[in-house]
Amino acid sequence: MTNLSLNRRHLLKAAAIGSVALASPAYLRRAHAAGGEVNIWTYNNFVPESFKKQFEADTGIKVNVRLVDDQGKQFNLLAAEQPNPTVDIMTVAGHRFLQFIDSDLLAPLDTGRLKNWGNINPTFSESDWSTIKDNKWGAPILSGMEVLSYNTDYVSAEEARTWDTLFSEKYANQTAYIIQDMMSIIMLKMGYDGNMVEYLDKPEEAARIVEEAKQFLIKHKPLVRKYYDGGAEIQQMFVNQDIVLGHSWNGPAAALINDGFPLDMTIPKEGSYGFVYTYNIAKNAPNADNAYLFLDAILSSPEIGAAMTKASGYISTYKDASNHLTDLEKKSTSFTDEELSTLQFFRAEANKMKYGLIDPAVEAIKAA
Amino acid sequence: MSYDAASARNERAASTLRQADRTFWGRLVNWSPYRAFAGLIGASPRRQFLILALFPILWVLTQHLGPMIQMVGVSFTDAYPVAAGKEQHLTLDNYARFFGDSIFWMPFFRTLFFAATFTFCTLILTYPVAYYLARHVSRKNQMLMLLLLLIPFWVGEIVRTYAIMILLGNTGAVNLLLRSIGLIDRPIPFMYTSFSMGMGIVYLTALYMLLPLYSALEKLPKSYNEAAADLGAGAWTRFRRVTLPLTIEGISSGCTLVFLIATGFYATPVLLGGPSTTVFAETIAGFFHVAGDEWPTGAAFATIMFVSALIVTVVFQRLMSALRKGDVK
Repeated sequence: MTNLSLNRRHLLKAAAIGSVALASPAYLRRAHAAGGEVNIWTYNNFVPESFKKQFEADTGIKVNVRLVDDQGKQFNLLAAEQPNPTVDIMTVAGHRFLQFIDSDLLAPLDTGRLKNWGNINPTFSESDWSTIKDNKWGAPILSGMEVLSYNTDYVSAEEARTWDTLFSEKYANQTAYIIQDMMSIIMLKMGYDGNMVEYLDKPEEAARIVEEAKQFLIKHKPLVRKYYDGGAEIQQMFVNQDIVLGHSWNGPAAALINDGFPLDMTIPKEGSYGFVYTYNIAKNAPNADNAYLFLDAILSSPEIGAAMTKASGYISTYKDASNHLTDLEKKSTSFTDEELSTLQFFRAEANKMKYGLIDPAVEAIKAA
Repeated sequence: MSYDAASARNERAASTLRQADRTFWGRLVNWSPYRAFAGLIGASPRRQFLILALFPILWVLTQHLGPMIQMVGVSFTDAYPVAAGKEQHLTLDNYARFFGDSIFWMPFFRTLFFAATFTFCTLILTYPVAYYLARHVSRKNQMLMLLLLLIPFWVGEIVRTYAIMILLGNTGAVNLLLRSIGLIDRPIPFMYTSFSMGMGIVYLTALYMLLPLYSALEKLPKSYNEAAADLGAGAWTRFRRVTLPLTIEGISSGCTLVFLIATGFYATPVLLGGPSTTVFAETIAGFFHVAGDEWPTGAAFATIMFVSALIVTVVFQRLMSALRKGDVK
């Protein structure tokens, strides 16, 4: 059964790659043979391989991808390289914009140079978080969220409707989560604002809430199997059956579902947080013209958006991208209206205060 | 006649020299800057030593000490990398943060404890292997055996760590074996515990212990043990009174290497450890992952770990030295 689904997936993947390759040249053939290179810092599978090859062949621009796995590391690398960065395009999560902008690391995005800007769903391209200081700072490409993933052989859909199951004795030592992300979710579960924007003028209240969330996680520490950091880790733990449920990002969970693993995910009734990955142009980017050409090319067709979803598991921000997904891929990247009604997006306004409180709390939880 | 033969020999030698002069090396030897350089080196043994040592010294300074000096320097600043429009100042706050907040002490002392425990386990596990290799394997086969032991080291640390995960996971080889022979019904949760982390560290550092032990044991003359046996000493007494004291140097070198490596491990504890095994390297890495001015704190914590590991090592070496001299029984 597993083999059958894997083969089918590979067949569908090959078909998708072919369709992307077919879809791209129509746009790229119009591009001038610019030459040179474009340097991109991004996550694994965020630049579809078929698109990259086609773009390089049609424009003569070499695409150099450096994989990143952490927004903070990316920030520090860019800060260290400024004012002469080696990167042209980087991948910033929408709620981290402010930090990059305040540190003068990003260039405002000139959407007038992107003929295909209109191919992005306006829910993402025109939302309030995407416009800061009257400028757009990035092109939304993929959307993600914090979900509760569970092995359907062991955990029922009903049990997964609440975050409480993650801390239940029944699944003791069969769970995993990212502590830093869980702090926001626990605050939300407790009825507080996990973005901490409400407490910007009440630092003592903010500190008390973080302390409450910290104590909750310390109390439940004996029940968790693993604090993890990256998507590949939780995939590994599910496959090895070291855990049966865990907090995760939807992308890695969707990738497992599409591989035929008995996994499902949900946004529990207490709610959760979403985020959007964007391609941004670094300030003083050495190949800014090539960067704009790359961005316009990657936004050119819904097939490319669908290919990014197939490879990463995250939800495409492109209009009509879902039309190019299989039923299983659609299922793994969609949620019910009831689930989505409790979803909020991460916000950046209170990040300095929030992480000033959360980072020491995380250390305390690990040390406890 | 003999004159003709000698003349021919001289002619052949001269011809060989002329041919040699036409080769690259021949031209190099006759090149005046090279001759001047060779003359400079050869002028005195002291100068010869200094010039020959120049490259290794430069290498150590730039590739080994350079980054560490840079790290210590960063640890005394309040901002690094310095963002546009900001100024960097000297401060001791990063060190004060460690000593002023007890939440950092637990991973720090846990690291020292784990490193010492795993070093001891590595010693206990590898000593018999080194002993067998040095004392019971024929000299002809020793290199082959060493090569076989080296095979796992042909691949990187991460790959070997994943190999441990494949072995110890709930669906891993060990649990499958135990289930197939009917010893267990449910998998034993080996992974994400201090056991899995310890097994990974012992596996990854075993060779650093094995080689000094093998070297010390291999140098030990067999006649010493034979003499002890002739005097009536049993196997255990021979080991305790002869072999062990004479391999203290190997034990000391191996333990020092493994302890220092174990204090700095990051990927293995992250991948194999659990919620209660957080080590100091993870705490330090946390500061480098956080966006902002946290690198100096990470650098200060790394310096504290480095200095502490050195202090423990010096104390251990002193103890070993005293044992060697017989001051400690």
